[in-house]
Order: sequence, then structure tokens, then C-alpha cells
Amino acid sequence: MTRRFAIGFPLVVAVLACLSLYRVTLGFPLFYLALLTLMLFWVTQATSWNILSGYSGYFSFGQAAYVGIGAYSTAVLFGRHGVNFYVTILVAAGLSAVLALAVGAIAFRLRSLRGEIFALLTLAVPFILAALARINSSIDGGQGIIVSVPPFPAGLGLFQDFLYLLNLLVAAVAVLVAYLMRKSRFGWALAGVRDAEDVAEGLGVPTFRYKMLALLASAVIGGVGGSLFALQIGFVAVDSIFHLTVPLFVIVMSVLGGRTHWLGPVVGVVLVVLLQDRLTASGLGEWQLIVLGAVLVLLVLLAPEGVYARLRARPLVALVTAAVVAAAVWLPGEPLDAILVGLLAATAVALLPLRAAPPAPVVAEPAEQAAPAPVAPPAEPVGVGEVLVECRNVARYFGGVRALEDVSLTVREGEIVGLVGPNGSGKTTLVGLLSGSLRPTRGSIHVAGNDLAKLPPHRVAHAGVARTYQIPRPFTSMTVRDNVAMAIMFGRSPRSLATARRDAAGPLDVVGLGHLADAYPDKLNLHQRQLLEIARALAADPKVLLLDEALAGLNPAEIDNAVEVIRRVHRSGVSIVIVEHLLRVVNQLATRIVVLDRGTRLADGDPREVLTDPAVVRAYLGKRAHA
Amino acid sequence: MTTIQAALSGILLGGLYALMAAGVSVTWGVLRIINLAHFGMILLGAYLTFELATAWRVNPLVTLVVSVPAMFVLGGALQWAFDYLRVSELNSLLITFGLLIVVVQSVSNVWSADFQRMAAEVNPYATESVRVGRFVFPVPTLLAFAIALLVILGAHLVLRRTFIGRALRAYAEDRPIAAAFGIDHRRIGVLLAAVTGATAAVAGMLFSLANALTPATAFEWFGTVFAVVILGGIGHLVGTLAAGVLVGLLSSVVSVVLSPATAPFVLFSAIVLALILRPQGLFTVGATR
Repeated sequence: MTRRFAIGFPLVVAVLACLSLYRVTLGFPLFYLALLTLMLFWVTQATSWNILSGYSGYFSFGQAAYVGIGAYSTAVLFGRHGVNFYVTILVAAGLSAVLALAVGAIAFRLRSLRGEIFALLTLAVPFILAALARINSSIDGGQGIIVSVPPFPAGLGLFQDFLYLLNLLVAAVAVLVAYLMRKSRFGWALAGVRDAEDVAEGLGVPTFRYKMLALLASAVIGGVGGSLFALQIGFVAVDSIFHLTVPLFVIVMSVLGGRTHWLGPVVGVVLVVLLQDRLTASGLGEWQLIVLGAVLVLLVLLAPEGVYARLRARPLVALVTAAVVAAAVWLPGEPLDAILVGLLAATAVALLPLRAAPPAPVVAEPAEQAAPAPVAPPAEPVGVGEVLVECRNVARYFGGVRALEDVSLTVREGEIVGLVGPNGSGKTTLVGLLSGSLRPTRGSIHVAGNDLAKLPPHRVAHAGVARTYQIPRPFTSMTVRDNVAMAIMFGRSPRSLATARRDAAGPLDVVGLGHLADAYPDKLNLHQRQLLEIARALAADPKVLLLDEALAGLNPAEIDNAVEVIRRVHRSGVSIVIVEHLLRVVNQLATRIVVLDRGTRLADGDPREVLTDPAVVRAYLGKRAHA
Repeated sequence: MTTIQAALSGILLGGLYALMAAGVSVTWGVLRIINLAHFGMILLGAYLTFELATAWRVNPLVTLVVSVPAMFVLGGALQWAFDYLRVSELNSLLITFGLLIVVVQSVSNVWSADFQRMAAEVNPYATESVRVGRFVFPVPTLLAFAIALLVILGAHLVLRRTFIGRALRAYAEDRPIAAAFGIDHRRIGVLLAAVTGATAAVAGMLFSLANALTPATAFEWFGTVFAVVILGGIGHLVGTLAAGVLVGLLSSVVSVVLSPATAPFVLFSAIVLALILRPQGLFTVGATR
């Protein structure tokens, strides 16, 4: 927790609480308090949505489910059966959690499940619940439920004060949770899921666990908020609760404010609720939804990162604009109009296209890299040690396609195994199997004594396997340093962010990317991205490094540099399996070569012998060339 | 007896679901746009038919002369915009959700949120029915089923047999390769979306024949139609038709045997099960990913 947050957050909450506690003294109109209560309700809901959907990128259209469960728990138990109100809040939280666990267990267990299907699944959930409530008229008596005022401490003033303070408490907790999650490993894991889920899993992030936790936190917060909502509206019926405007509102608010930041939804809520209120007050109530829908469309197109990030980029200009415009409107009109217009002006200023992109970090190539790569000595004689990887009779089919059939392979400590073969011979499939992202149809794979079939992919990373991707897949929302730090944070022995960031310098130096540590991946060229892949894999402290065509598309100078990097990695004691088409490179690097052809192992042995093997030459060049 | 009647009516009703779902399924499968606004276009089509038939006293089928071209242009224009702005699959979901809300609220502002039904004298089909033995089939449902069958099978044949259809399937399979072979994705995508829009107009007309209209209906279609899309397999027209019939059958039999209110519950449980067991759709053959 930063100092600024530790002081600022309690201060803001305290000021907001005082508005109610000293309402009479301050002369704060009750109407404003009601408006603030509504805002706080939406802060809770939008933050609840954002914890899952904003942080992890799994969009939910099912927010109404939590509101509904919360409101119904309170309405039925407290409103109809007279159960203690505070107990019903706990029931709401519990039921929401159960629903979240059920949805998550279905949705996140499916490996083929994509974000779009998750979105549609969550769209269906409120409909099921609404149908359930409609069928069983014993739940709500068929006509909806009137929720009376629960007993509350007399010192708090009116019921509206009580409701406000209750909502303030819940919203404050929600925002605090969102903040703590964002700033901890949790937030980094979810950002990894959002950017490239299977890469994160492959680096050791237990993605399933973190997604479930996010879903659970989101559900509990949403359910508790819904429970208070029952008091606020006073009358609970199916059609007023399970309504599609709930997901519309939370999505617009979060997208407007900014999905990736903990404070984004709050900014969105203030804007949206004020706008709604003013539209209604001006007799334009029927335009509310049209305006909101249009705002959503425009925002996704124009500023998908949200207002908050833009505001932070130019806080002074926005603040001054807001103050000036608000003051200008304040004189004749209603204060709320003034505030809204001021905020809208600030938003408009914030959304104006940035004039010049912030200067890219100066990219100065270190001198040593400019020097010509030293003449490659033949692969060093490395003492060949223990067996690290052992594949026995591995087969892998995709539907009817037999990508691999009966392949056996061992990799010993200190080896560089070159994996070659024509296109479609099963090289990348083998890499997928070794890294645990694919499961063999038959056969067994052991890495350092661990049976891969028994490990989820993130544990395979901890067992000592790391891979790079043929087409580099960096976490695009993180700097180069943080990309590498991710692998250290979630490695075999977990590290804190600070430690991981410091230690990231090591792998970056090995590949020679230290000078770009603070750049974002989109500023890197192909060669640098491929080096980043290697650095990130190295940071996981692997025993075996799988390089899947790490040199594809490079020019000769870059290839020489990459070869030198791979040598350096090897000298540091990592065994390497390298998939490569360039036989020149494989010849230079490999201590042993394995040739695959149409899913079977064609040859395995000393590079010179293998590459002159007639069968291998035939596979590569065709029969005639050999004859 | 009533169960068999319900089953038959459900099958007929399923045709309309399939027609609604076909547009969503094809744009999703081929263009990678999850078009929630399609429901808005169906709604607009239905209200156009209602308005024109009521105002001009013409046969509802004739209103297609106006509504089909209108939705054709609207659908094409939307796709042109999506393509121009390079909208991703997930963003398309958000954007079209916003558009749908705009359409539904606009419809509500123009025609009010009340239920509206075409008067009996302009809608000759509403009260007629065909009697086969002991079974009764209302003409609107029969008409809906026949037209849906015609449109879907016709579209299927076009996709299978014609050059444009092959180009579309190639495009769905692998965009860069299709482009390398000279397929102009922009033009072909706009055309496909325009045709999809036209089917929305037809579906809207057919819906308005038998039902009273209210703007919120658009949301009620969500569940059933996505059930059909997912069960049928995204982008598979014949699968969509079969899934539509299956869903119609299932929900009307469940309504009769258990109670009408259980139908959505059973339906969604079916989708969830299907998603878990066969995420690629019930009727698609082979290729597991």
C-alpha cells in the first residue's frame, strides 16, 4: 500500500461519512445524500464487475445475478420471514459465492472456453435465476416483496443516513479489496491472464486458482451490494431486479472509467450517475439508455483504456477545465448541473487525442552488441550428465490427425538437442507436450523425475521446463522488465514484485535487453521480442529450455547474436531443446540432433552423422536428390 | 395427445428461432462479429411490418418490400463500419450491446413500451389455422417455418455451391490466405452482413404475425437464440436449423409436461451441458480442438 493511498483513502471515506453524520450542521440536502447513496451502490457493483472482468479480461454480462441474489435473500428472509437483516447480508454473500463457484467450476474448467463463450454463459445465468424465481412463487409469494425498514441505531439520524452509511461501508470495502488485489501478485496474475493466458500458465501462474478467486470476490461484493439494494428500492420483484440494465450500467461505468485500474469504475460511476440524474431532471429520462448505449459504443472505439488513464496523463489541464467550466455554469444554475458540465468538460479534454506520444525510451545499443559476433567455436564439450527429460513412446492425435506417433526421446543435463524435420513433422507438437500445454494421447513424459501427466501446466514450469513461442507472445500491458519479473514472481519459489523486478536484470543482461527494460513490448522489433521470449523463459529458472524456432525471420547478423545468446544460456547450466529450420545454426549449436518426419523419429545422434544419414537427406530433399 | 401437439408446434416454432439464430451464427462464424445488434434489427423489422401494415393497410408480407431493403442496407453499413474500425471479436460484443440498447430504447420512445398487435383486418393470418387430423397448426407458425426453411437451406446451398459461398468459407477458415488468393474480404463481408440484415427483417415480420410486440422482446430472444447458435455450432447453418427445431421442441414439450415457467430453466441447463460436453456444437462432425 502506498503512502498516498494509506492517507488518502481513509480521508475520503471519512469526509463522505461526515456528510451524513453532520448532515444537519452542514446543511447538506437530503436529496444529495440519496444521489450519493445511488452512486455508492453502483461503485460497489462496478468494482465487483471490474475485479473479474476488468482485471482478467473475462467479460461478464451476469452482474444482475449477484444483485438479484442479494436483493432476493434480503427481501425473502428479512422482508417476508423476519430474519435479522444483518444475517441476510451474510446469506446473500454466501449464496453469491456458491453461484460463483458453480459458474467458475463449469466455465474455467473448459480449456477450450474462450472469453466470448464465457460472456454468453454469464448472460444466461440471470435468466435462469429469474425463471427460477418466477416458477417458485413460494419464494416471493408471486407478487414481489415489500421490504420494510430494519431497526438501526437512533444516533445515525434518518433511514436515508443509515442506508448511505451502510452503502459507504460496503463500497469502501469493495474499493479497498480492488486496490489490494490490483497491487498484489493477484493483480499481476490476472493481468497475465488478460494479456496471454496460456503463456502465463506456462510461466507458472496458477491461472485457474486466480480466476476463481477473482470470480468469488466479485460475487461476494456484488451479492452484499444487492442485499442493500433491496432496502434502497423497498419493493423487490423479478422484473425490476434481473434486468439487463444492470450489466449495461456496470460495463459502461467500468469501460468509461478504465478497466485495468482500481479507481476506474469509481470515476465512471460518478459521471454516469450524474448524467442519468440530470437527464431525468431535465425531462429527458427516456433518452438515458440511448445516451448510455451510445457512450459505450463510442468509448470502446475511441478510448478503450478509459477516462481515468487519460486524466492521469494530464491532470492539471483537466482540473483547471473542470473548475473553470463548473464555475461559469454555477452562477445561474443548479450546482449539480455545474458539477456535471465541469466533469464532462474535463472528460472531453482528457479524451482529446494526445498531441505527441511520450518520447520513447532512448534506445542506445550497448557497444558490445554492435561488435561482430565472435567466430563460433564448435559446441563446447559439455559433460553430459543425468537424464532430465524422458519421453517414452509418446503419441499425440488431433481428432484423426496423427501429429506424433511412438516417439521416444531423452535429454540429458548439459545437452543442446537440435530438433529438426520438415514442416508438419510434429516438432511444435512435441514442444507443446514437453511444456505440458498439450497432453499425450499415449505414452509418458518425465521431467526431472516428475510425471507430466500428473501436473497442471503451471506446475510443469515449476518442475523445470520453460518454452518460447515461435511467434513471440509478450504480456503487452507490461514493460519488458515486468514481463521477465512475472516469470520470477510466479516461479518455483515465489518472490515479491520488488525482488522480482530487481532480479529481472539478470536474464535481461544474458540476452542483452537491459537497455530496453522500461520499454513496452510494442516498441520492440522482432529480434528483440524473440530475445524477450528467451529472457522470460530463463527467468523461470528452467532446467530445460525449449526454443521453438526462436530465430525465425531474423537477418544473418541477428542470427549470429541470437546464437551467442543461446550459447551463454547453455554455459549457465541450462539444457536446451532447439527447434530450428536453419541447419547451419543447428550444426553450430547442437550436441545432438533428433530428426522427426511425419510424426515419427527418423534419426537421433551426433550432428555430423545424422545430417549425412541417407534417410534424413531423403526426408528433407526427396528421393531423387539422394540418388 | 396434447404432448404430441405441443411437440409439433414446438418444431414449427423452432424454425423461427433458427432463422433468428442463422444471422447471428454466420456473422460470428465468418466475420468474427458477435452481433447483438442483430436482435435490434429483428425488432426493427417487426415494428416496421407492424407500422406499415397498420398505416397503409397492406398485407404484412408486402411490407417486406420496404423492411428487407432497409435492413439490408443497415446490416451492410454496420459491417462496413466494423471493418473500417477494425473491431475485435470481444469489442464487437460490447459495441453491439450498446447499439442494441440504443435501438430498443428508441423503439420504445417511438412506439411506446406497451404491447402492440396488428389489427385482425390487416393481418389475415393471425386467426387462421390448418387442421390435420386432430392436430391444429396456426398459419403464422406454418408460414414462419416454411420461410425459415427456405431461407436457411437456400443460404446453405449458396455457401456450399457458389463461388461467393466458397470465398466466404475460405475467408472464415483463414483470412490472410484467402486474401492472398484475391478474395476481397471487405466487399464480401459487407454483402454477407447485408444479407444477414435482410434475414432479420424477414424474421421480424414473421414474429409480428403471431405475437404482440414490445421492445423488451429483443432481450427475451437472447437466451433462446444463443442456445440455438451454440448448440448448432457457430457458423453452421444446417446445424442451426436442427438446433432451432430441437430447442423449439424441447421448450414446448417441457412447457406442457411440466409448466411453462420451467421451459427457460430446462433450456439453459441444456446449453450449459452442451457447452461442457460438446463445445463445438451438437451437430458438427469431427474436428475437435
